[in-house]
Amino acid sequence: MSHTPLLTHRRAVLKGGALGLIPALSSAPAWAAIAPGVLIDAHVIDRRVWPGALPRSDAPVLPFDGDITALWYHRLDPRWRRPGFVLGGITGADTLFVLEQLARTRHRAVVSRRPLSAGATQWVIAPAHPSIAG
Amino acid sequence: MTTPPGLTAAVFDDALREIRAAVGDEWVFTTPADTALYRDAYSLFWDEPEERLASAAVAPATVEQVQAVTRACNARGVPLYPISTGRNLGYGGSAPAYSGSVVLDLKRMDRVIEVDERNGSCIVEPGVSYFDMYRHLQSRGSRLWIDVPDPGWGSMIGNALDFGGGYTANPYRNHFEAHCGMEVVLADGEILRTGMGALPGAQTWQQYRYGFGPYLDGLFKQSTLGITTKMGFWLFPQPEAYFTASINLPRYDDLPMLVDTIGELENANIFNGMPGISSPVLFRGGKNPLDFPEIPEGAEMDRLARETGLPCWSARLTFYGPEQVIRAQWAYAKSRFPTASFTEHALVKLPLSPADMERIHKPSFGIPSLEMFAMGARSAHNPNPTDGHFWFSPIIPRTGEGFIAANRIIRQTCQRLDIPVLLFSPPVSSWWRAFILVMAIPVHKDPARNQHLRAAVKELIRVCADHGWGEYRTAPAFHDAVMDTYSYNNHIVRRVNERIKDALDPNGILSVGRYGVWPKRLREQGGRK
Ligand SMILES: Cc1cc2nc3c(=O)[nH]c(=O)nc-3n(C[C@H](O)[C@H](O)[C@H](O)COP(=O)(O)OP(=O)(O)OC[C@H]3O[C@@H](n4cnc5c(N)ncnc54)[C@H](O)[C@@H]3O)c2cc1C
Repeated sequence: MSHTPLLTHRRAVLKGGALGLIPALSSAPAWAAIAPGVLIDAHVIDRRVWPGALPRSDAPVLPFDGDITALWYHRLDPRWRRPGFVLGGITGADTLFVLEQLARTRHRAVVSRRPLSAGATQWVIAPAHPSIAG
Repeated sequence: MTTPPGLTAAVFDDALREIRAAVGDEWVFTTPADTALYRDAYSLFWDEPEERLASAAVAPATVEQVQAVTRACNARGVPLYPISTGRNLGYGGSAPAYSGSVVLDLKRMDRVIEVDERNGSCIVEPGVSYFDMYRHLQSRGSRLWIDVPDPGWGSMIGNALDFGGGYTANPYRNHFEAHCGMEVVLADGEILRTGMGALPGAQTWQQYRYGFGPYLDGLFKQSTLGITTKMGFWLFPQPEAYFTASINLPRYDDLPMLVDTIGELENANIFNGMPGISSPVLFRGGKNPLDFPEIPEGAEMDRLARETGLPCWSARLTFYGPEQVIRAQWAYAKSRFPTASFTEHALVKLPLSPADMERIHKPSFGIPSLEMFAMGARSAHNPNPTDGHFWFSPIIPRTGEGFIAANRIIRQTCQRLDIPVLLFSPPVSSWWRAFILVMAIPVHKDPARNQHLRAAVKELIRVCADHGWGEYRTAPAFHDAVMDTYSYNNHIVRRVNERIKDALDPNGILSVGRYGVWPKRLREQGGRK
């Protein structure tokens, strides 16, 4: 049985669409074309690699500075223990690597990743298993 | 879907059918996309034919399901590779040691079964990470500490079984040493409980490790013999204070006395934290303290020390305990070094204030963290981060002379063999009474570079062995090479391990090839790599 990436219910839209929803950043801010509040439940932004403007979004925007530990521990992991929740982010590849490992424990996977300017990657992590379908 | 070596697709399908019936269809993973999640991100074989890949993965939720999976595999000779949280980066990640194994992913077994505040102990399942345990203790206002490795995302059980270590006091920082009692599913699906766990109704499973008769727990350290489904650990009662200070000695020749004396103080319990050796003169100018340079000749080092006014050596002692006691211990320690100068670094009262929380090295206070991954990130200082690393960690003699010899010979050998080194530690005393050196060597997603590295590191292993230095733990690429060096009496250690393996796991299904122990059928086929 394949579970990667498997998004269910309203999130299923994202499975086919995530890559297309997030534009290249040559001219626009990375988050500009993520439909606010529709698919992404929260954004995490590493200020170290994305010092620019934060997204104007209905979904919470959670900035942090290099070390993701506290944000993940206090905000993301408790939320990831429950079904649903699609997370968008702009971080370095190092932080994405860490989040990807942590997400896997909660049956979630990176469903889209796109390198931006040097050092920054834009990505989406979504449920990847029926047990946490939103 | 790939089929494990030596099995037909029909037999493997049949095993998977039985496994699905036991754990549920949605917890059996067979597509390439799913099994790719178990690749070792830091593999030394990345994209090469020898890369160790899973044929499938299974995530059971209970001991009964683990037994059912094991029986299904045992009946058909399907290789099974248990992992807890699978974060063994630098030592194999979540990939099996033998390609084609089914990874038994125990992350769903994540219950903290018990915390006993009075006994200062806990019993956990394999999926309980250090973060999980920390959250559990915090949410209950516990006064107990865990001891954590640098990255806190691993599991208490997985880390201990691979002989991992942390940073707080003895004996807690040696995670296998700090365990008390295990529950293990054997290859035939039977459950073994060790120590007092073997006595039905005993309330002492987490108090007395040894039970009756031979001590079996050691069989499951770095092992191929069982699937650990529960483990008890002793936890550290939160101390009142933490204190760290350094003893500085001016001359090159002072090192043997420094190492001997701090060894004596540690063995006499005058301090209980992890000691550290450094060299202010060699690290002058803010050099990375985790990258110990090659130690120059004595005359040269003394000259540098005279010119700079910096001591040749310093030993940092760490104390956990009541402030009054610590102060007396430190006063006594100082009295043992009449020619030294001293630097007091920090006295931290516990529990931590929010301000202290921001400035401390969290693992030294039993607090899990992932901070070190942000430090290795691309930055002005580190424009080309690597694709990961593996650890090279020989046990060397705990003497000043032993450290100097190992530092020089390993540094020179790395240079001769063109082995890049990201980090070359001072001697580390994670394990009581022993010194290890820990080196991080970068890996790449480039087969040619990794091939060079593998050959060079095998040579480094031989050079170290020629000097009597053996690795305590290593990446799967070197399991056989390191086991080869433990060769006393025609490799009797390996031969005994093989005899035990053949007796307990006659079909050779569990953790095949791990730590250089191969089951009979693969030894006979020359399967040892
Ligand atoms: C930057 C960095 C710093 C690190 N610092 C440290 C450190 O300070 N200390 C340290 O010890 N390590 C360190 N490591 C190595 C490693 O990350 C940790 O040891 C980690 O805790 C191991 O992963 P895990 O706990 O998920 O164990 P797992 O990966 O789950 O297990 C490790 C191995 O043990 C066996 N195993 C696991 N569970 C079972 C079971 N239930 N039954 C039978 N066999 C089992 C398997 O063979 C498995 O491959 C570091 C790694 C990195 C990248």
